[in-house]
Amino acid sequence: MEAIGNLLLGFSIALAPVNLFWCFVGVFLGTIVGVLPGLGPPATIALLLPLTFKMDPTTAIIMVAGIYYGAKYGGSTTSILLNVPGESASVVTCLDGYQLARQGRAGPALGIAAISSFVAGTFGVVGLMLVAPPIAKFALRFGPPEYFALMVLGLTMVVFLTGRSVIRGIVATLFGLWLASIGTDLFTAQSRFTFGNMELLDGIDFIVVSIGLFAIGEVLVNMESQSGAQIFTVPKGLRNLLPSMQDLKDSRFAFLNGSVVGFFIGVLPGAGSTIASFLSYGLEKAVSRRREKFGTGVIEGVAAPEGANNSETGGALVPLLTLGIPGSATTAILLGALFLWGFRPGPLLIQENPGLFWGLVASMYVGNVMLLVLNLPLVPLFAQILRLPYYVLYPAIFGISIVGVYTVSNSLFDVWMLGLFGLLGYVMRKLDFPAAPLVLGMVLGERLELALRQSLMMSQGHLSILVGRPLSALMLLFAGVLLFMPILNKVRSWRVKAIEQEL
Amino acid sequence: MERKQLVFFVALLVTCLLTAAPQLRAFEPSKPIEAVVHTGPGGGSDILARAIAELLQKEKLISQRMQVVNKSGGGSAVAMSYLAEKKGETHTIGFFTAVWVTNPLTTAEAKVTVKDLTPIVRLVLEPAVVAVKTDSPYKSMKDFVEAAKKNPGQLRQSGGSVTGRDNLVRLVIQRATGANWTFISFPSGGERIANLLGGHVQMMVIEPQEAGEHIKAGNMRVIASLTEKRLPSFPDVPTLPEQGINVPVIPQARGVFAPPGVPKDVVQYWEGVFDRFAKTAAWKKYLEQNQFEDGFLKGPELNKFFDDLTKQMREVLKEAGAKVVR
Repeated sequence: MEAIGNLLLGFSIALAPVNLFWCFVGVFLGTIVGVLPGLGPPATIALLLPLTFKMDPTTAIIMVAGIYYGAKYGGSTTSILLNVPGESASVVTCLDGYQLARQGRAGPALGIAAISSFVAGTFGVVGLMLVAPPIAKFALRFGPPEYFALMVLGLTMVVFLTGRSVIRGIVATLFGLWLASIGTDLFTAQSRFTFGNMELLDGIDFIVVSIGLFAIGEVLVNMESQSGAQIFTVPKGLRNLLPSMQDLKDSRFAFLNGSVVGFFIGVLPGAGSTIASFLSYGLEKAVSRRREKFGTGVIEGVAAPEGANNSETGGALVPLLTLGIPGSATTAILLGALFLWGFRPGPLLIQENPGLFWGLVASMYVGNVMLLVLNLPLVPLFAQILRLPYYVLYPAIFGISIVGVYTVSNSLFDVWMLGLFGLLGYVMRKLDFPAAPLVLGMVLGERLELALRQSLMMSQGHLSILVGRPLSALMLLFAGVLLFMPILNKVRSWRVKAIEQEL
Repeated sequence: MERKQLVFFVALLVTCLLTAAPQLRAFEPSKPIEAVVHTGPGGGSDILARAIAELLQKEKLISQRMQVVNKSGGGSAVAMSYLAEKKGETHTIGFFTAVWVTNPLTTAEAKVTVKDLTPIVRLVLEPAVVAVKTDSPYKSMKDFVEAAKKNPGQLRQSGGSVTGRDNLVRLVIQRATGANWTFISFPSGGERIANLLGGHVQMMVIEPQEAGEHIKAGNMRVIASLTEKRLPSFPDVPTLPEQGINVPVIPQARGVFAPPGVPKDVVQYWEGVFDRFAKTAAWKKYLEQNQFEDGFLKGPELNKFFDDLTKQMREVLKEAGAKVVR
């Protein structure tokens, strides 16, 4: 009951005209930032912070949070339409989203992304509101061995991301793991695989690799087909521009999966929305009845990751607001901002400033509704982009990719890397190597290595620490089950065949 | 030449000389100032640089806008080499931290050292404290060191990069006491705290302002101040030498560099600006809010500071088994 009273207080703050206005400004800016590849929420928030110093602090955090979760809505747009991931959390959306667009179902894909973002985003806020303190405490039980197990669990998703050849999938994953190891070693401060190159000291940016592999690679392959014909089937009529009832039905589980996985991964400091989106995609595929269709354009393949990266926002605010611990680049900036606005971020923040917390929570409900209302009408508009002839579309994709990659860290070197990975994407497609496992290896590789080495430092070299703790043991067991599931399925289908033959 | 004309030209010449004279004496920026930082937006240096830029303009200490430019990458190598490439450029400055000293020591690719740049001022010294969980058995750093001696390698500390201050502090204490415990690197500050609160590590080095809230909530206890004198915010927490652990203070300093080869009057201009800046009430308030120490230093003392710090870091890093490349 106390929560309801508090929430009413929150709404009385969030619905004040000035807060409504800035909430809208925030989510609107967020959507734009999300749509544009490269410029992410952390940089946007940092650049806009000086503007907020003259605002009421609660209004300021309502606007800044709007940018944060608004960007997650926008991120799917270019992923689906152009195969250019708008944010790193939307890379996995490309897999099915772009295929849907090619089949003339860009509208439903964009629509389901918005709806799933809304459902899961709201779920994240409910979680933040109801279970923040206990779940933050639970998340603290995640030490390095638990992170290691979680990353292993993530890596087993490779099984579900590979196409026909498992060997090719594993090779691509290993290559991704290697890419993740480039840069300065955190534990010894030594440079690895940098070849004396200063630009490589920080490693290769994940978004550069994924835009290269997905967007540039795709354009190169398509340019080859001399026909120059329409690669997109353009839908006719308004009816096909939004998700159908069947689409919604197909995405039922994805909504739930994305909501829960996203929220929980968000609560863990240092895991982040990219990992959340990959895990929820893998889980969706693992339990799906039409597993083999994933990657060819299934609607739930868009719904799950887009939900997860939105629910992650609510989750990520949990350790920030209940413990004063930032888990990601964006929440780290929010922590700094809270401090500059005159709050003392820490375990007592909610107790000392109920208006701030409940105002923010209520504004996030409002903001999610605004985003849905803002994004759904944009769907038919965005879908029209695909009507452009290829001689306009391809240069545009190149342009968007180059500008996007350049804005990540204002580095021309990154643009060269984009070209290199574009060529790699082309070659991989020609040789039928899947790109998704490479990207997965790269996302998880850094964390996997960190967690393993941290765990072994904790145990002074004993591997037993990885299975000796209940949480990590449980996750490793689950990973084992996932890994063997396809084999079990094969055995079962042999048996079915054998029985059929006997009959 | 007619007399009238002559008078006219002489008058013109005198006027010119008079108006030009101040400009010959003192440099004054004629376009926006570029302030280079080595972190992305939101990083420690970025936040400080943006705050200083705003305060400088508010206090009318500079006549031009100051624009913060993020050159992140390579520890600090990208920002430092950017500054080095701007040789002789009078409208560019850079904000340093101690990383600018340590990074080139361990990274072969980072070819620019602080010796290649023009030091202007040191502005901030960031104090640090040692924290444990509230239910930890260690009431002082001495307790912790004794426990670490009994079980070598068993106790754990969370921190950042091995070349960061938190690890260097561990190394000097280990050298002085013969104790030995494990240092585990975590990339983000949030994870370092989470692992302490979750009981996965037993100790960490933390900034006093950050520790304050966790102490108030009853999650953390501070067992030592890593400063010359006790901190005003922690009057009951003794320094390391007070606890019988005689180690030098490893400073985390922040300040300003100019590119190599800038004219003397430009150096003097910036020294003057920051000298006046360091005395403003607004800056004093900023220091207090962040629980920073005023670390103002310039001229030969600043050069000596960098020489000493480089020497100290090189020794400590070598002893730690890090590959020191220069």
